[in-house]
Amino acid sequence: MIQGDIVQAARYIGAGLAMMGAIGAGIGIGLSVQGAMHGMSRNPDAYSNLFTNMILGVAFSEAVAIYCLVISFVILFVA
Amino acid sequence: MRWIGLGLLILSSLVAAFVPIVRPDIQAAPERLTVQPLFSLPVLGEVYLTNTLVMLVVVDLVMLGAAWLVNRGLRREGLAAKGVGGILIFALNAMYGFTENVAGKWTKKVFPWFATLTMLILFANWIELIPGVDSIGILRQSAEGTPVQVLIPGVLATVTTAGGSGSFELFPFLRGPSTDINFTLGLALVAMTVTQIVGLRVRGFGYLKKFFNVSQIFKKPFLGVMDFLVGLLELVGEISKVISFTFRLFGSIFAGMVLVVLTGALVPVLGQSLMLIFEFAMGMIQALVFGMLTIIFMTQAMGEGHDEKTDEAPETPDGTKNALDPATMASQAERS
Repeated sequence: MIQGDIVQAARYIGAGLAMMGAIGAGIGIGLSVQGAMHGMSRNPDAYSNLFTNMILGVAFSEAVAIYCLVISFVILFVA
Repeated sequence: MRWIGLGLLILSSLVAAFVPIVRPDIQAAPERLTVQPLFSLPVLGEVYLTNTLVMLVVVDLVMLGAAWLVNRGLRREGLAAKGVGGILIFALNAMYGFTENVAGKWTKKVFPWFATLTMLILFANWIELIPGVDSIGILRQSAEGTPVQVLIPGVLATVTTAGGSGSFELFPFLRGPSTDINFTLGLALVAMTVTQIVGLRVRGFGYLKKFFNVSQIFKKPFLGVMDFLVGLLELVGEISKVISFTFRLFGSIFAGMVLVVLTGALVPVLGQSLMLIFEFAMGMIQALVFGMLTIIFMTQAMGEGHDEKTDEAPETPDGTKNALDPATMASQAERS
């Protein structure tokens, strides 16, 4: 028999499972940085332009991972 | 400078050796500082004094101080001022150049909103990295608290797990405003409402044709109905933009706060410093992303910012135009 607080255990499991959406964000960030690296290596003069746009793209992909994190925090920390 | 750093390192090692650090209580909603509400509104409920509200007033005072410094620098030395005012003038110039790049001819309408939102969110994100925020506060009796060791009776006590008594919970006095969904939701609603207002002002009621697209509905019925449904989806998209603004800012800054506090509890001596550096960069990136998205949505609402007329090269001082510039070649082609 499982002893202890099952509801708290379920919260921890749910919070962990909710973070699986960050896989997509990791792949997305990797692809956009790959594109930026290709561009920078072909044309080093465009470095600052490419860097700014890469940071913008990374922030968008990261936003999706942050949505998952918010759900995970809501599961953990909201009573 | 490096001796100050070494001294602080030794001080933190000594403190970490004698005061056992405990994992703090984190909750997503901001903590209330008073037990009684301040006042009650008839429909919306009760309004409490929360610690993020206190910190927002502090952020506003910091911004007013920065504006006063910029004014003083401009009045005494002009645009090349030195000191904090000079840094802010440089930052505002850089932001204006960036807005011109994206918005083109709508820069004058868009820049005040972009600069205000970015500066406010930047200061709100950075101010929670100051030591003392999130760690100094009121201790209240609570069932699921941690034991407390009293240092100065009645005034000062440390939350600790070893050798303490009672069961108390910590309510910090100050907490970064961006960790409060009320603040981020308010800013997102302001940004999207102003986008709609600006779009209506520039394009008139033709702006609503973007959402209720009935132009093709009688000429080509099937595609017309699809265009109409796509227009309705744009309306849903506007609401989803509000939600995405809110949760992007809240999620990154709240997650940063949790990480900073937890690494401070787990690795007392140097662990938190690395997280603070990361949070510094993340706060700046999130403020810029909020501002950038506001510019892009406003420019889309008002119509395209870049077209051939606004990008024409200026005339040379003696009146002759540069022969190889595209506008001159186009007008030459038209004449012949």
